[in-house]
Amino acid sequence: MISHHLALDYTLAPGWMTPFVEGVKTGVATGRKCTDCAKVSFPPVRICPCGSTKGTWVALSGQAEITWRADGADGSFALARFEGANTLSSVKLIDVDPDTTNGRLAASEGDLPMLLLTEEPNA
Amino acid sequence: MHKTNVTVTGAALTPFNRRRDGTGFRDWAASAFDTALDMSGLERSDIDALYVASESDFFHLQLNPASVLATELGLVGVAATRCEGGGASGQLAVHAAIRSVQSGAARHAVVIGVDPSASALSGDAIRSLYGFSFDAWTDGMTGLTSTALYALSYQAFAAEHRTTEADLAAVTIQNRMNACSNPGAHLRRQDTADDISASPMISSPYRRLHCSPLSDGAAALILSQARYVPANRASAPRIAGAGAATDHMHLGARADPGTFSAKTKAMQRACTEAEISPSDIQMAELYDAYAGAQLQGITALGLSDAVSRDLRDGKFAGDGPCPINLSGGLMGQGAPVGATGVAQTATCALVLEGRYHAALQPQKPPVWALADTHGGVCTTSAVTILTQGKQAA
Repeated sequence: MISHHLALDYTLAPGWMTPFVEGVKTGVATGRKCTDCAKVSFPPVRICPCGSTKGTWVALSGQAEITWRADGADGSFALARFEGANTLSSVKLIDVDPDTTNGRLAASEGDLPMLLLTEEPNA
Repeated sequence: MHKTNVTVTGAALTPFNRRRDGTGFRDWAASAFDTALDMSGLERSDIDALYVASESDFFHLQLNPASVLATELGLVGVAATRCEGGGASGQLAVHAAIRSVQSGAARHAVVIGVDPSASALSGDAIRSLYGFSFDAWTDGMTGLTSTALYALSYQAFAAEHRTTEADLAAVTIQNRMNACSNPGAHLRRQDTADDISASPMISSPYRRLHCSPLSDGAAALILSQARYVPANRASAPRIAGAGAATDHMHLGARADPGTFSAKTKAMQRACTEAEISPSDIQMAELYDAYAGAQLQGITALGLSDAVSRDLRDGKFAGDGPCPINLSGGLMGQGAPVGATGVAQTATCALVLEGRYHAALQPQKPPVWALADTHGGVCTTSAVTILTQGKQAA
């Protein structure tokens, strides 16, 4: 048998998604608003389902409501709707009580743009 | 769309399991190919094209595997292409080979699906890599697992279709029961509802036994233009239609995250080419990465308008009118990713010919069979419809 350890250090350029990625890292939810139909995607999509290629970046409040939630050995994850967004977002839940249906975007851990949802401090 | 002129002259699978015998992916590919070539009655020199399905270089640490396998299989000189579409890689390779033969570009095309999904890396490493099968910059970086995304999608489906924990158990038990009669299957185990409910929760509602395993293995197909089919294979099964489609890469951006709409589109395209409707299908090898995905797939493919009822009534059982996953499916037979779609299509061909494993072979071979494969949470869907060859035509 051949045993081999391979370590890879990536440098990835997020390109047009940079405002989203930089926002998520600091806990700011930045969505993409379609110029034609006004629908907001978060995470952003470059071309709106309406077909428009024009959009602007909008800052969302960061508050979200959990629609579906899955828990287990893999961790806790959810599909959640961020306030002001027309799409659901798949997020990782950080210390969100199973009975809690609301949360807010937390700053990422490290340099990765992680979509982390945590409980509101006063929830 | 004109009828396809593509015949399945060769079909073979290696056993799917976790290899501990020192063999590697090149050995498995060669083993499946040799068996398929022998079945076809063709010579290596008859082959014009090779399509290789392998999901990720991370698994076998071999970039450009199609060119390497062209040499390993004794096919130097053929046009060699690697096909990749996550879990759908194998079926996409089948489609590429179909179109190559259908167009007249190749007389005979070989499809090899292979991946060492079990033995090359740790399970944790594979699970981490799978997270990048979805949108790497959102789901992947966040740490979403395949099981979690499938669980979220299934919850939405279950709420609409009122499927239950008992339905998940029924699918799990049925697929693994079929696998018990498949000597090449990875998980030949008779799970009970109690076993399932006692297994660890991975991502609710999915427990470990609701999940397909990571497997090693390979599968091979040889597709031939009808006019070049050897005389002894004149009655071999025929490809009737193929279709593929995609859905939004973000589960949360779909109109309904529980609906596999790409599968519905792919099926419509394949049925149009085959000139049949989904209700004509008499057996299916269906992409059951998780127990609930089988229920979602059955519904999206149009094989049932009341999946829970039809499951209870035995429609999809081995002796039912439309057996699903006679092989055991991914959950029972196993899932070497690149091999999966090729294996599903090979299984359909073998059943149509009446030469599948004796305990699983329907007494009266079906006329229409469906191989259904997808990648992502059905982000990429690819289906192929097969039918009887000249004898039944």
